[in-house]
Amino acid sequence: MKIRRKGVLCIFLLPSIVLVVSFGIYPTFYNFLLSLRDVNLISYIRGTAKYVGFSNYSSILRDTLFWKAFLNTFIFTGLSLLFQMIIGFMIALLFNYEFPLKGFLQALVMIPWVMPIMVSGTYFRWIMSDNGFLNNLLMALGWIKEPIRWITSEKLAIYSLSFANIWLGIPFNFILIYTGLREIPEELYESAEIDGARGWQKVLYITIPCLKPVLVTTLILGCIFTMKVFDLVWIITRGGPGGASHLFTTFSYSLAFDRFQFGRSSAVVIIMLLIVIALVLVLNKVKLEEE
Amino acid sequence: MRRRKGWRWTLLVSLVVFIIVIPLYFIAIGGFMSVEEIFRKPPYFFPPNPKLDYYKEAFFTLLPYMRNSFLISFGTLGLTLLVSLPAAFVLAKFKLIVNRFANILFTFVQILPFVAVIIPLFLIFTKLKMINNLWGVILGLSVFLVPFAIIILRAYMMSIPTALLEAAVIDGASYFKLFLKIILPLSAPAIASVSILVFLLAWGNFIIPLAFVKERSLQPMSIGLYNFIGQYGVQWNKLMAGSMIYTLPPLIVALIAGKAIVAGLTAGALKE
Repeated sequence: MKIRRKGVLCIFLLPSIVLVVSFGIYPTFYNFLLSLRDVNLISYIRGTAKYVGFSNYSSILRDTLFWKAFLNTFIFTGLSLLFQMIIGFMIALLFNYEFPLKGFLQALVMIPWVMPIMVSGTYFRWIMSDNGFLNNLLMALGWIKEPIRWITSEKLAIYSLSFANIWLGIPFNFILIYTGLREIPEELYESAEIDGARGWQKVLYITIPCLKPVLVTTLILGCIFTMKVFDLVWIITRGGPGGASHLFTTFSYSLAFDRFQFGRSSAVVIIMLLIVIALVLVLNKVKLEEE
Repeated sequence: MRRRKGWRWTLLVSLVVFIIVIPLYFIAIGGFMSVEEIFRKPPYFFPPNPKLDYYKEAFFTLLPYMRNSFLISFGTLGLTLLVSLPAAFVLAKFKLIVNRFANILFTFVQILPFVAVIIPLFLIFTKLKMINNLWGVILGLSVFLVPFAIIILRAYMMSIPTALLEAAVIDGASYFKLFLKIILPLSAPAIASVSILVFLLAWGNFIIPLAFVKERSLQPMSIGLYNFIGQYGVQWNKLMAGSMIYTLPPLIVALIAGKAIVAGLTAGALKE
């Protein structure tokens, strides 16, 4: 459209830019500055936080808890993405027909997304606790003798948390893949049938290739969302036991608010951001090549 | 036209959906049981002697928190719409040099984890006296929800025919008039969907109030419930009853406006 007086249009954009820059971009930059200083609550308020160069980074990189969080973030993200997508895809296939009550059932599938995280966190904390629902059920069935320490053992906790997060991500994966499925023309399936294709062959040779762009988009968004997860872990294990289930996010938060090591906490955030940005750039490249 | 299936298909799908929504059921019945019953071995699948007391107790404990949750959610919704609607209009309908810059900014904030800004914001808000202040929470949430809203709204506004705007410009309409008289009314479905999404995300948010509101009388329901996980052990039945009460508004919204939620989420993700 032809534009007169561009200045007026900038007024439309200005509030959003001011908001995002002052409370989103500036804090991120500020984070970087904090990561170069020895900041705790007292030194911050007095304004005496010393410049220490990259020593926060080197001390963090020598911390075994950091590497634990690093590994956990990858396990958590990898498992979540894989299973959310598989389950979401299968449910989307089920919904790719017309049947009675479809709209109602579809709304129900969205419930994990709609439920506040505090509530789903509470639920998983309850079923997976040592004397919780799952152990009580398995023991009553005689499948196990001792309770399994789903969220209190150092080894298992991160896998249990991943399980909870997979459940949380089902709606989003389902809905994107379902929308993608609806855009595949029915004629493709029909002509494949004439050529004698069976059910699974149609999925393999028509559905999946046609869906590829949608799947890649879903993967990118899922990756971003999963790397951001904080609340679920904080509510269920608080990163415990002994820091064994920390992600980058919860590790950074606990450094800041449990130990008041703001400088080191910021260093973790900056490292995490660099990793997320690198991942997104790589995935975006894959996406562009796909198109 | 997709193929039709009958009630047998509905039954099959219901079984799968049942597994997905089962947490809601257990939370709901947990609120009717004593703590011993909640942790009984073998577990109960129905409350053996349901009591309404825990729901009542949880309701009255949570009442002040509920007020804060509504204030925060509606405050965030108002601010987010006010800021993102005009921005989406410009991004969708004009080619300005600043657009690219704005797009990069908004995309960047989309990938930003809450934790990445929480520490600096905490320090900034401490200086601005916005800790223990609902405005602090609203601002903190809006930063993340504005880019989210803009992406969805822009996708929708791009589908509004530009010819409509051009005709109005020839008639001498100002940009404000275009925005108020043409864009806003025609974007009603997108505005509805964005409003629902923003409300739900603000309602359910945990980390922002966790970090910025220590004063109990100002905390929203998410933190009110978190307080039930106290130093003296978890009051599980109150926690579950309270969780159910807290979930009710989003649940009702989802059942009434499920389509709008789906439309918003897919517009933001797929149509760029």
